[in-house]
Amino acid sequence: MNLSRREFLRLAGLVAAGASLQACAPLYAELAGGPGEISQWPTPDSSGLFRALSRITYGPRVAERRYAAQIGLGNWVEEQLAYEGIKDLGTMIRIRPYDSINLEADAAEAYEKQDVIEELRRATLTRQIYSNRQLYEVMVEFWTDHFNISVAKGDCWYLKVVDDREVIRAHALGNFRDLLWASAHSPAMMIYLDNQANLAEHPNENYARELMELHTLGVDAGYTQDDVMELARCLTGWTVKEHFWRGEFTFDDDVHDNGTKQVLGKVIEPNGISEAESVLEVLATHPATARFVSHKLVQRFITDDPEADAPELVERATEAFLASDGDIPSVLRVILLDGLVTQTPALPPKYKRPLHFITSALRMLNAETSIPKGVYEYLGFMGQPMFEWPTPDGPPERANAWTSNLMPRWKYALALSTNDLPGTEVKLNKLFDLAGASDPHSVIDQLSTLLIGVPFPQNERDQMLAAMEGRALDDIQQFASVLVAGLVAAPAFQWR
Amino acid sequence: MIRNNFTRRDFLKSAAVAPFAVAWPAWMPRLAFAPAQSDPRGDVMVVVFLRGAADVLNMVIPHGEEAYYQSRPTLGVARPDDTRANAQNRVIDLDGFFGLHPAMGPLMDAWSSQNLAIVHACGAPDESRSHFKAMELMERGVSDEQGPASGWIGRHLSTYNTGNPSPLRAVGLGEMVPRSMYGSVPVTALRSIIDFHLGGDDQAVAQMTAGLQALYSGPDDLSVVGQETLDILDTLAMLDPEGYTSAGEMAYPQSEFGYGLQQIAQLVKAQVGLEVATIDVGGWDTHFAQGTAEGLMPNLMGDLGQGLAAFHADLHEHHKNLTVVVMSEFGRRVAENASLGTDHGHGSMMMLMGGNVQGGVVHGQWPGLERGQLFGPGDLAVTTDYRDVLAEVLSKRLNNQAFGEIFPDYQTTMRGFVKG
Repeated sequence: MNLSRREFLRLAGLVAAGASLQACAPLYAELAGGPGEISQWPTPDSSGLFRALSRITYGPRVAERRYAAQIGLGNWVEEQLAYEGIKDLGTMIRIRPYDSINLEADAAEAYEKQDVIEELRRATLTRQIYSNRQLYEVMVEFWTDHFNISVAKGDCWYLKVVDDREVIRAHALGNFRDLLWASAHSPAMMIYLDNQANLAEHPNENYARELMELHTLGVDAGYTQDDVMELARCLTGWTVKEHFWRGEFTFDDDVHDNGTKQVLGKVIEPNGISEAESVLEVLATHPATARFVSHKLVQRFITDDPEADAPELVERATEAFLASDGDIPSVLRVILLDGLVTQTPALPPKYKRPLHFITSALRMLNAETSIPKGVYEYLGFMGQPMFEWPTPDGPPERANAWTSNLMPRWKYALALSTNDLPGTEVKLNKLFDLAGASDPHSVIDQLSTLLIGVPFPQNERDQMLAAMEGRALDDIQQFASVLVAGLVAAPAFQWR
Repeated sequence: MIRNNFTRRDFLKSAAVAPFAVAWPAWMPRLAFAPAQSDPRGDVMVVVFLRGAADVLNMVIPHGEEAYYQSRPTLGVARPDDTRANAQNRVIDLDGFFGLHPAMGPLMDAWSSQNLAIVHACGAPDESRSHFKAMELMERGVSDEQGPASGWIGRHLSTYNTGNPSPLRAVGLGEMVPRSMYGSVPVTALRSIIDFHLGGDDQAVAQMTAGLQALYSGPDDLSVVGQETLDILDTLAMLDPEGYTSAGEMAYPQSEFGYGLQQIAQLVKAQVGLEVATIDVGGWDTHFAQGTAEGLMPNLMGDLGQGLAAFHADLHEHHKNLTVVVMSEFGRRVAENASLGTDHGHGSMMMLMGGNVQGGVVHGQWPGLERGQLFGPGDLAVTTDYRDVLAEVLSKRLNNQAFGEIFPDYQTTMRGFVKG
């Protein structure tokens, strides 16, 4: 079958006739208002703005592209940093059904475990896909990974709900010291890293070690095994209530080691809970912490290899961290404004992690989704199960951890664009209609502009179309949806 | 010296002019026109990594060592002749000094037939006691942060050209490929043979596949992975994973590990060109309530032992061309902690299973567990570097002698863990 111009016009005819895509948007989504129809097709991006937005959002929607182009990336970043001023009523209404995310620990524990985990996942994905506060949600994900907790460990399945709300979301764009402080007093973290079992008679080193290695200083910052053991002694008695006020943090003086300790060269006199808290103060503003966190942020937003590609940016971000006493927006301003705005032409590629791949396809195709299990379980197939990364390092950032597993991405692309994904609808006929293209070549150009910012190289476009036409379907509508699947599955869409 | 100038793409090019090119898919290992200079294929190597630093002292237990019981009043597993404990809760003796945890009893068949070797007090020089640093260094096969970013298996694949164009030459079971496989030879993650397809109706899949072939025809790394993925799709479509039956009497455990091993066995039997497979087992970071005869860690050991035993039985016709390596990033503290678990330690243990290992022997110099014999804050010392074990497997079983590149900052020694 060779697709003619006339046949493509027939596709537009199907739109007019109201082709049979099932309407599945639930009531609350109606109330919330969809993400809005795409009312005007984006123009090819030549300024690097598309790539910059791809780093800061879960895949830029058309409206976001247009607005950022209008006010400039710098202003857009400032608006995003002041996220509380961004209206987001629609997202609030969408997450309203997931009421367990608002519960205290002892109340959440009364729910079914699977329901609590599912609601947290669906609420999180809803925010990532629909929230206007994109940078805030991206930073929530960053800190969720940094202070990783798996719901598969012990009571974390309900304690993580509180941690997500009162540690991560409360401080994601606040101050690192407050964030660290909240995390160290988080019952979920105590359980996840076994500190409830850290007792005077024989300390458990797990949390003490990861607190320095993964949360603050970084593994090569010069602390020693002795520092780990001494900090563990300081942390004895930091635990979680088991009966009354179950699931709340508490300090149990009875199992606290009341001897003198020495951490990072500093003598710590016996002083109960204040001992470890004084170490937290040191760790929160330590130069090694500033560097470790800055490095990680540069790796998230700019390049897999900050040492080679952006050593000065890490340096400047570290200085901003120290000068502002850990003010997260101050560090981000340096990284995003210097790293994305001034260096855009040289921006090294970043591979989309599974979460970014899944959300960006939904956002950029303007999908309506209620995110049932049939959608988020793909994250597990791709290697990034949500809130269930088993080890405290969080899912890796670098491309080569993810590039070996293309099959589930292809499968997802096909399911999404043929409306086979549960609870999810892409209005392809409207997209085609709006793209206003009258032949397959220009339709690919238009969709490519939507999904990767610019049209496909002509050569690749023609090859792809020739290959697909050779296997074309009788049903032109289905042909078109597989074409969209091809674009989502294409190498170019795997990068952000 | 890197001999990997011959890439998979070169092969496809050469296949294009060969007479069988149309009749046989390009991955077929039996192709008659494999380049004459290619190196002889060795064993299939399966690397099992126990993530989280397994407590090896409760796996291969030095029951002849009094200090073991003194350090582990609760976690110590009863001596083989300790009649105060139920027989099924006692150590299974191996050589009068060491014994297996009873949960790993299924491995006794392999041990008795001398297809199981153990290297105790084995490990890496790294003293960080950090899981992530230790795993990274171990999987890269290096002593410190210097040196190549690729993994030791990755460098094995790139320094040893078997002329094998199979897209399934190296496979990482699971959703991700481990660091040890990073390198210039593309490796695919394989979660499940059954699920390795595009779904959707036949016509849509045919159109999608044709499109993917065009989209992933470029020279970039990701496109190469895409081409491999498409080839694997063709290959696996010919297998029948749902109708698979084991050739052994022991059943695979109903677990991710058991399922993964079964898939490796299926690939081995189907002769699709598999040379190296990796599979991870997580959950070994037992700081808290790890269990003595029963519980958390005995369950993990049961899964491991039964899985390996089922794999051994299933592949009994392939033993002479198969070597399984079991390893972990470091061991755990000799003394139990107050939460009836164990903290991060140092020395570990490795297991080798296959028809050509020096089996039925606990290898390695035992450093002892008495005060003064321990390392650092109370840990098992390392007397055999893990790279000596791996190098010997690569050398004698996989025919690759390029240790200078695979373990660039380490001088390896052959100690007789496997047969030449």
